[in-house]
Amino acid sequence: MNVSEVISITKPVGLDNDIDSDVEMSDSENQAQDSFKQSIVTPGELVTDDPIWMKGHGTYFLEDRTFSSVAGNISRVNRLLSVIPLKGRYQPETGDHIVGRITEVGNKRWKVDIGTKQDAVLMLGSVNLPGGVLRRKSESDELQMRNFLKEGDLLNAEVQTIFNNGIASLHTRSLKYGKLRNGMFLKVPSSLVIKSKNHSYDLPGNVSIVLGVNGYIWLYKTSTGINSATNTSVTSNTNMFRASVDTTGSYAIGQGSVSITRLEEESSWEIYSDKNDPNISNSVRSNITRYNNVLRAMSFCELGITEQRIIMGYEASLSYSNIGSLIDKESMESICQDIINNEKMRG
Amino acid sequence: MILSPAERSYLYDSLAQSPPIRPDSRSDHQFRPLEAKTAFLPGSNGSARIRLMDGSECIISVKAKVVLASQESSLIECDIDIAGFRDDSNFVSNLKFYLTNLLLHNFPVRYLKLTSRYAFKLFLDCIVVSHSSYPLSLISLTSYLALKTTRLPLLVSDVNDEEIAEQPTFSDDWDNAKYIDDYLKEGETFEPPIFITLGVIGPNLIIDPSTEEEQVLENGLIISFYNNNVITPISNINLATNSNNSNFKGLNRTLITKGIALGNKYCPAIISALNTLIEQDDEEGTIF
Repeated sequence: MNVSEVISITKPVGLDNDIDSDVEMSDSENQAQDSFKQSIVTPGELVTDDPIWMKGHGTYFLEDRTFSSVAGNISRVNRLLSVIPLKGRYQPETGDHIVGRITEVGNKRWKVDIGTKQDAVLMLGSVNLPGGVLRRKSESDELQMRNFLKEGDLLNAEVQTIFNNGIASLHTRSLKYGKLRNGMFLKVPSSLVIKSKNHSYDLPGNVSIVLGVNGYIWLYKTSTGINSATNTSVTSNTNMFRASVDTTGSYAIGQGSVSITRLEEESSWEIYSDKNDPNISNSVRSNITRYNNVLRAMSFCELGITEQRIIMGYEASLSYSNIGSLIDKESMESICQDIINNEKMRG
Repeated sequence: MILSPAERSYLYDSLAQSPPIRPDSRSDHQFRPLEAKTAFLPGSNGSARIRLMDGSECIISVKAKVVLASQESSLIECDIDIAGFRDDSNFVSNLKFYLTNLLLHNFPVRYLKLTSRYAFKLFLDCIVVSHSSYPLSLISLTSYLALKTTRLPLLVSDVNDEEIAEQPTFSDDWDNAKYIDDYLKEGETFEPPIFITLGVIGPNLIIDPSTEEEQVLENGLIISFYNNNVITPISNINLATNSNNSNFKGLNRTLITKGIALGNKYCPAIISALNTLIEQDDEEGTIF
């Protein structure tokens, strides 16, 4: 029996020794000028000694000099000087498509963990209630909030506003948002998710993904409607198109968006169901774990995550017949190398 | 850690397939990859550290003390410290009991005897810096490495002190210190006992369940392995310690025999991987 099939134990690998750790600290004035030119600074590093700059986020001010308080890139907007951290907790912005987990059910609101400093809130008025949009929320809805969403439930939502105390307010008032089913959840650092127009994709292998801007990811089985002709399409721009195809079975012109009546139909208790699709095939399940490992590899190698790269990583991973070997460090690195090479070739 | 009902049922269904489809697509007998380092603490006789990819980490130091054998109830003492748990909590005292009990009954204690009156007493101090899944197998694999690399100073005084009372004296030269392995007779090898955890789900057994998997398990098995055989204690446990596991139920007898067979089949590979690491480990190299 091969030992590596059961367990792999390696020695810790430190940083490369050829990196010179003795960085000269900049003290003199002309060096301070130099350090301003380079855009990456570390905590405690002098950014500028010119007092005309306004101090923004990620900086502090001592004896007429501005220092960086985080490791990151210097950003200058007019006279405002700030340092944008390379890593850190997710900072919500209005319009971000995020995945979150309910942590608390409160008075007319849910608290949602989205990886920010403070939990986000989801107001009872910002969700689709069973019965359609035209229905007003009533006291009975307040009493049965746990029947809609309860502690531990995963949902995808959009950041509606940021309150001035920094707490994000979410909404799920669209059919593409709501409770998540038929798949598995994983977390990556939010700094690796590259913002794009769309954050839910259909991937090859009958798997779909919600790539939350906050680094929370949901991998699930692509939902198949009556008409699954568009099933294999990769781009998600067709989501809306398909939504209208799925229920009616044929494409009606002008049905690009969901009609109010359909929303009412869809907004039955179904949308808050905890039941998974009973027919998830083993191949879909193992494809989901394959994507999971690819995403973990990308997060291990600190590679920015985009739809293209996920697909390239998936294709690279197909050469490993035993998916379980993908959790080794070498395989993760080689997958990422493959992605980078592939990207270079395509230009 | 809480899972949503949909996640829970998806995970359960995946793991109950045959063969089980684990979230990280490991096979049912595959451990998570480990990173280990031995003999790095200068002040102790033996030390080891194991780290998992998810950041779980355990450090063990072994210290030896010369004691009057007649005054000690046991020659091995373990202490476990787990970040975030009180030392007198059930969780920590259970782990401590498991490890102490296993070592007391399955350790060649006779080789710790120095003279008829004096003996070495080993103190295992274990720190779990961070953990996500049940840390027993992590602790026990680390203790294996620490004990294997424990060096005891060479006794230079007379072994026979029955007639003339004499305090034992040791060679000043640390290079003369011997591994416990060196005290053993020809043909014997010193391989401390280890624990592995198995998750029970439907008809399947999975080795080394991760935190997510622990949440949906129907039962957990702890199996101990020593001298190329699965030994007692074999016990069952709810591995999801920090949440109530609604799937938890009784254990089918046939799964215990299956678990023992699994242990007998795959534990030798774990032992040989640990031994290979010790052979390849050098004084140089980074600790972190």
